[in-house]
Amino acid sequence: MCALGYYLEREGIMTTGISLVRENTESMQPPRSLWVTFPLGRPLGKPADPDFQHGVIAAALDLLNEESGPVLADYPFDAPGVDTESSPACPVSFARPASELTWSSRLVGELETLKLWYDLGRRRRNGRTLVGISGLSVAENLEKLGALLDEGQLPVSDLTWFKRAIEDVKAFYLEALTAQPGDYDQQQIQNLMWQQTVLGAALIQFYKMFQEVEQLRPFSRIVAPREVIGGST
Amino acid sequence: MVRLTDLPDFEREHFLAKVRPPLGPPVWTPLPKPVSELRIALITTAGLHFRDDPAFDFTDATYRPISSDEDANNLVMSHSSVNFDRSGFAEDVNLVFPIERFRELAVDNQIGSLASVHYSFMGAGLSPQAYEKSTSQVAGLLKQDKVDAVFLTPV
Repeated sequence: MCALGYYLEREGIMTTGISLVRENTESMQPPRSLWVTFPLGRPLGKPADPDFQHGVIAAALDLLNEESGPVLADYPFDAPGVDTESSPACPVSFARPASELTWSSRLVGELETLKLWYDLGRRRRNGRTLVGISGLSVAENLEKLGALLDEGQLPVSDLTWFKRAIEDVKAFYLEALTAQPGDYDQQQIQNLMWQQTVLGAALIQFYKMFQEVEQLRPFSRIVAPREVIGGST
Repeated sequence: MVRLTDLPDFEREHFLAKVRPPLGPPVWTPLPKPVSELRIALITTAGLHFRDDPAFDFTDATYRPISSDEDANNLVMSHSSVNFDRSGFAEDVNLVFPIERFRELAVDNQIGSLASVHYSFMGAGLSPQAYEKSTSQVAGLLKQDKVDAVFLTPV
């Protein structure tokens, strides 16, 4: 982000924008940045809150009026909090499936539990979904992922499919878990996904398998987040 | 995001490893006219693109155009990092790519106009210098579109 601001400005195009990591921006010194305290992934602060988003944008656009730079301003407001007691309940209860079942059957079973909620969430979002970058259906992706785990294999020759498949299935889960309207605590959703679902367990298992193969170890970093695996990458 | 001093050790170390010096001498383009007359483009490093566009690779300094005429609700994300929230973007594209907010600003005459085309990069896994060539290409395209200023959003 800092690089784009620098190179565009060098070409004579003014830039302003959001900084999520203040120390990085402070060091690289792009022309104009507004540092915000919002979580990574949420540069405008809060979804479906036009007034709050307009406040952030106005502060960043105001930096265009500065006469010299580099400028790094601090946005004075945190993103509005979520009342976890009144936020919508997760619609799905994740019972632990029998451990003797195969990964494939456990994943497909979980898919069946979530499908209704994914469909409902998609209708609520007027058809919007992030699923679909892999080219396969969620069921096909889960079956392939489960089969790999059941055979103890890594998709060495098809890492591109693997990455897109896990992003597709995670998007499907996220959209199912947030099917009902309302404000969600993103940390709660993250915890639910990684601690209670078969998919979360499956991805952590893939992470461990990638870690065991030296030349594939870097790939493990784009399988499971640092906060889930405790920063061991 | 909170300051690095407020993060767990492993998170702080990850971000400190990304702290880099300036890319060169300071650059600064002065404001040529009031903000209310500027033509503005949005550029994000969130790895956004339409479903039929090529997805971004694991590391990738290329860009995808996003026409102002297309429905941004059809944008998907193929960012390689797993270390940021995606649930907010699933709920509202404007959280990352605030196109509706900028359309509202244009209607209210708080900006001059919106670019015909906006751009998406995928910021992960490469040095900042890796983006120099493709950003210069985009700068040329923005000039053809008479764009004065760019609003940048990371994830």
